[in-house]
Amino acid sequence: MLFNSLDFALFLPIVFVLYWFVTARNLKLQNLLIVVASYVFYGWWDWRFLSLILFSTLVDYLVGLGLSKQENLLKRRVLLWTSIGVNLGFLGFFKYYNFFLDNFIEAFSFFGRDISPNSLNIILPVGISFYTFQTLSYSIDVYKRKLEPTRDFIAFAAFVSFFPQLVAGPIERASNLLPQFYARRTFEYSKAVDGLRQILWGLFKKVVIADNAAEFANMFFNTPADYPGSVLFLGAVFFAFQIYGDFSGYSDIAIGTARLFGFSLMQNFAFPYFSRDMAEFWRRWHISLSTWFRDYLYIPLGGSRGSLAMKVRNTFIIFVVSGFWHGANWTFIVWGALNALYFLPLLLARKNRTHLGPVAENRILPSLREIWQMASTFALTVLAWVFFRAEDMAHAMAYLKGIFSTSLFTVPKGAHFLGSAMHPFVLFFLLGFFILIEWFGRKEQYAIGATLSSQPRFLRWLFYALLIFMLGVFAQTNETPFIYFQF
Amino acid sequence: MNKEILNLLKKGLLFAAFAIPAYLVLLLITANWAPDPLKRNINFRMGSYGHMHSRLKEVRESGQVELLFLGSSHTYRGFDTRLFEAEGWRVFNLGSSSQSHLQTQVLLQRYLQSLRPKLVIYEVYPGTFATDGVESSTDILSNDVVDRYAWTMVLKTPGLKVFNTLVPALWSDWTGQKSTYIEEAVKGPDTYVPRGYVEMELQHYKTVRDTSSREWTWRSKQLRAFAQNLEMLKDAGAEVLLVMAPIPPGHYRNYKNTAVFDSLMQNHGRYYNFNDLMLLNDSLHFYDAHHLNQLGVEAFNRELIKLLKDYWLAL
Repeated sequence: MLFNSLDFALFLPIVFVLYWFVTARNLKLQNLLIVVASYVFYGWWDWRFLSLILFSTLVDYLVGLGLSKQENLLKRRVLLWTSIGVNLGFLGFFKYYNFFLDNFIEAFSFFGRDISPNSLNIILPVGISFYTFQTLSYSIDVYKRKLEPTRDFIAFAAFVSFFPQLVAGPIERASNLLPQFYARRTFEYSKAVDGLRQILWGLFKKVVIADNAAEFANMFFNTPADYPGSVLFLGAVFFAFQIYGDFSGYSDIAIGTARLFGFSLMQNFAFPYFSRDMAEFWRRWHISLSTWFRDYLYIPLGGSRGSLAMKVRNTFIIFVVSGFWHGANWTFIVWGALNALYFLPLLLARKNRTHLGPVAENRILPSLREIWQMASTFALTVLAWVFFRAEDMAHAMAYLKGIFSTSLFTVPKGAHFLGSAMHPFVLFFLLGFFILIEWFGRKEQYAIGATLSSQPRFLRWLFYALLIFMLGVFAQTNETPFIYFQF
Repeated sequence: MNKEILNLLKKGLLFAAFAIPAYLVLLLITANWAPDPLKRNINFRMGSYGHMHSRLKEVRESGQVELLFLGSSHTYRGFDTRLFEAEGWRVFNLGSSSQSHLQTQVLLQRYLQSLRPKLVIYEVYPGTFATDGVESSTDILSNDVVDRYAWTMVLKTPGLKVFNTLVPALWSDWTGQKSTYIEEAVKGPDTYVPRGYVEMELQHYKTVRDTSSREWTWRSKQLRAFAQNLEMLKDAGAEVLLVMAPIPPGHYRNYKNTAVFDSLMQNHGRYYNFNDLMLLNDSLHFYDAHHLNQLGVEAFNRELIKLLKDYWLAL
């Protein structure tokens, strides 16, 4: 079920009413309702894959119970590796089987040996990369004795399948989310309003910004040979806004929805395009995944301690693995490696923690230096996004070749934008509006959070009505899935 | 009930009471005064392409006809009323842009009684069975009265675009804008010909070499509406001839399931696919990938008239 669908618009109030009016007096029943609602939410896409979630839930629940009773280190390790094996096994099979097979075949043909094993027609279960990482965090934390294993299967199943963040995160840590299922939730008006406001902003980001930017980005990425470098560069910029609006919009809707049910999820995006260097960008982009890799991969590998070679190795590992997590394609691996290259100089020069607070913290406008820093960081990000968006390496290289040509300095013509239902100036206007709102809300959890809530009611409501109007007038009329569903 | 939840519901209703009128006001302002690029999901256009406003104004005063044409732009750009009138037949062309069977239904509900045709040429381009009907719904809402049939059509073609067009359409009904609007007969290359035909300045299609294979996917709601329309025509005592007007042969050949479509239509009555009956040339007889130019229209209409004379002279 998509957040931006009529199905969800009906589903959410039904679950809300059942949750607060029918099951509110019984915690177990309320958790059971969450499990059932989450399974309906997921099964709406393809009910067959519910068995994967259920199996993963059972395995990690039993591993947790096993770990609670087991003191023998070897047996504890076996239990942990059972969880890792099952979760990564599912992920490996559904997401990476054909990738490894294809590369295996190519490697053999390179050495003059042709083999022809059959690749499988595998459907990637939506959200598998997210919920497997979430359950893994539970097993690892229980193994490391950072978390008490749960005996409440329903609460655990609700934690694994919690519908607001099931298919595209934020990837919650068991230590944050699981205890919320043990305690009775109380409805708070202010939290619910905050949640609704965040849902509205998330919908705006997805439906107005991302989907419209996508229309142009798709046009230019589909046939890069037809456009000059300047237009291709614009296409990459549009993609940057598409992916940000799409993914952070999803996160906002997820966090806002969870808040309606009395849950608090972690912030997943903190205005990454206002970053002054790549290290800051990675502290602000997809925070739940970056911190997951930091805690469960980077730090166990030694982190930024050790020799120069170790630092370089660890940085590359975490970025390349992060890239590979996004998809079974060399383009994602190159995207990860490129970001490692961006990040390394800052790490080695010990400048990776220079910018910790929000930009222009006590000022309305940034300084010229900050503008330059943000623009250059954004430009580097945009170039890396080309690999992320491209179908394959040849496509990415052709696109970059198109950008870095003399035609980069030609002025785009109206004819380049034909074929789109939206006028490019309207998109520029929408992006300008979006950037402005994000800028003024950059110190908040989301752009229209606390700053707006302190304004008089008439202004607030007028602004919400304007956002709703823009949703109605500029939305794509067909439902478009979120990009991160494919990961 | 929890006071906090009650408070949320109360404030929610208050907000709705504020936001709904605000939305409607902004919608009316945008629909009437904003430049076109800002109207992405508002398709309220009185007298837009296709001369639907003129056609509907005329059909209200038409009276009985012998021959009625129904269908999409293939119809109002494909059946030249003058050529049929020259045969002594009283005709009306009630085609409209992207008219799908849901919209044909509304037009029949409104005008079949007064037109009382003896023969209906129902143009059945396969694309009209595949469309969601939104474009045509907004065309009819913008140019005709919003009555109970229009509301039914809106419910059958739901979506933002239709809703956003319905509001200014209702407003223009109430303020009398629609009835006082006068549409120019000549707009760009298009000239409105009385009784519903639109003649395009003679242009020739530059064929695009495209051999990619395609398939039409038909919607059940359109097939249902089509069957209901045939039933309605039968009840009104009209004979029906299902006709597929020619499209550029290069384009037509790309579709894989034309034989399936032919068979489907044959099950519904007497059907003629002129793509198989005539040999036309992409650039000589068409002006784009869908429409005949005037040379093509004349050639096609001559063939059709011959057929009508042979088989349907007993009108």
